[in-house]
Amino acid sequence: MLARFRLSAALAALALGAVPALAQELKIGAINPYSGGMALYGDELTRGYELAAEQANATGGVLGRKVAIVRGSATTPQEGIAAVEQLVGRDKVEALIGTYVTAISNAASESALNNSKIYWETAALSRDLTNRGLPNFARATPSSDDFARRSVEGTLKLVAPALGKAPKDLKVWIEHEDSAYGTSIAKEQEKLLKEAGVQVGVGSHSFKSVDLSDSILRAKNFAPDLWLGTNYVVDANLLLRTAREQNFKPGAIMLVGTGDTFETAEALGKDYLQGILLVSYPRADISESYGPGAGKFLAAYREKYNRDPIAPQAMGAFVGMKILLEAVKTAGSTDYDKVMKAAAAMDKPLGTYETGYGVKFDDKMQNTRALPVIAQWQDGQVRAVYPAEAAGQGVKPIDLQRK
Amino acid sequence: MGDDPAVTDLINIVAVGILLGGIYALVSVGLNLIFGVIRVVNFAQGEFVMLGMYGAYGAYAFLRIDPYLALLIVLPALFLLGAAVQRLIITPLQNEPSMQIFATFGLLLLLENVVLALTRGTAYSVPSQLAQVSVSIGSAQVGLVRVIALLAASAVAVALGLFLKYAMLGKAIRAVAQDRRAALLMGVNVDRVNLVTFGIGAALAGLAGCLLSPIYTLSPQIGTTFILPAFAVVILGGLGSVTGAYVGGFIVGMTEALAGYYLDPALKHAVLFAVFIIVLVVRPSGLFGQVGAEEVGLREQS
Repeated sequence: MLARFRLSAALAALALGAVPALAQELKIGAINPYSGGMALYGDELTRGYELAAEQANATGGVLGRKVAIVRGSATTPQEGIAAVEQLVGRDKVEALIGTYVTAISNAASESALNNSKIYWETAALSRDLTNRGLPNFARATPSSDDFARRSVEGTLKLVAPALGKAPKDLKVWIEHEDSAYGTSIAKEQEKLLKEAGVQVGVGSHSFKSVDLSDSILRAKNFAPDLWLGTNYVVDANLLLRTAREQNFKPGAIMLVGTGDTFETAEALGKDYLQGILLVSYPRADISESYGPGAGKFLAAYREKYNRDPIAPQAMGAFVGMKILLEAVKTAGSTDYDKVMKAAAAMDKPLGTYETGYGVKFDDKMQNTRALPVIAQWQDGQVRAVYPAEAAGQGVKPIDLQRK
Repeated sequence: MGDDPAVTDLINIVAVGILLGGIYALVSVGLNLIFGVIRVVNFAQGEFVMLGMYGAYGAYAFLRIDPYLALLIVLPALFLLGAAVQRLIITPLQNEPSMQIFATFGLLLLLENVVLALTRGTAYSVPSQLAQVSVSIGSAQVGLVRVIALLAASAVAVALGLFLKYAMLGKAIRAVAQDRRAALLMGVNVDRVNLVTFGIGAALAGLAGCLLSPIYTLSPQIGTTFILPAFAVVILGGLGSVTGAYVGGFIVGMTEALAGYYLDPALKHAVLFAVFIIVLVVRPSGLFGQVGAEEVGLREQS
């Protein structure tokens, strides 16, 4: 009965030529892990998408249509492919966005291409994703290379002066977990640091290791001025705890990608973390002049979810979605080739968005104006300190030298 | 000579190996009881350790008590869980040893995924004041919590050895391990012995979990990272031998530490399992196991 009513109502609407007013929602499929060990971050990214969709809908939607986010859960590459098939086939999504894990993004974006849909990346880091040159794939957020570059910039401009050393006198130990994530960042760091004349030692470990004392002893023997680590959360915590036990005191510590959440604060305590540098996605506490609207984003997040953001990735996902919606508007369509063309033509300076990002895609469709910031643990809080203009009001770098 | 950096390195790495051995011995002692004595290949043993760790975290989060005090809650809880697993899963499959293995593997996945669902992958840590204390022993610097784990492993090994040798229940456990039917004929309550043994084995895993919780950041997968080396420890040391599990722990710990430092951290497990295979080929019953002990599990047991 109800079905018949709906059908007749739709027919009546058609007859009256009222289709634009009843235009279908513009559905965007969000591929992320929503169960299992990575669900915390999968959910967090999607909160960013939902806030961006709400903001767009409040001002009339996109192409005259309401934007709706449909979740597709993927904890493995195979599930990523299945989720794309389901979202396109059953839910009729017109674009796909994601993804907390590089391997899932890799498989899901190929599946999206087979279904002639755009795959808009807002989190996965590996530079290889854009290097594939897939015609439906673009990344609006930083790549692993950007994290490596920012960490080297911080080494040369923050750490070296603070320790009173010239780059050629600086010794840096690069410690990384040995999957593609840590290895790709470490390789780029090594290359860039050596180009700058810095003395470099490199150590790797499995993030599943039961013991990392050997990694600490190797690093300790190198007597580095800076201990530069790219790890996952569990091994980062074990490394720091073992360093404390072994009385390993490098001149300074910088962590890339992780080490900036309550998970590390709980494991180490704020006293030990004091002064440690973090290369991280821009957080909502950055200055309004660097990331205009960051404060508004934070307020909107708090209002909708009744808490502070769990991780800074949410604001990156929010901005990534905004850029996608702008490209769709300019393209006047969700056809992937038209959206990609519109995105490629975008030219917005740094400091346009809440995260401080601008937009300028390179020939592989990597946004070259999406940069991480360097933050620092200060009294149990993570504060952006570099670039200086990103620092919030009254925030300054504190002594980074290990005591 | 003490100033020679190579010697200092060696002393440090030996200290690391001994402490890691203590951790492995602690994790393996319960497995040795269940696998080595009552012959159940319990893949879920690592998950019992994991539950012990989360128990310590829960005790901290809800009751604000130290992980060492949490033992008072976690040990009885794990004993009961172990006894329940034995009664509800292991006993019905008594005549199907290979199905028992699959069942414990299923239990591993069940426990891991339940904890995953409850925590949604958040990595928790148990803050303990002791975790920040580090002591110097000669030129080696070691964490106090690791020393405590080593001492606990030693105490448990001694206590368990004495228990199995002299206590009536210990003798009964050994009797059941050697010949189930003969033990039954001698009036041993075999069902009760199995129940209690599994319970003690699980409680020992809970002990390991609590004592190791100040060292590690908790993840639902942490149990599986322990289980493979723990099986290596039990088999290397000799099935059913408490001394074997204790010494095996140190062999595994020392091998990992030396290989990790002097060769390559990525080769740690490759070297360990190469040593494992060599020992098995040369001495199939393990270093301290009775010759032929490895075959007991294959004997008709019903």
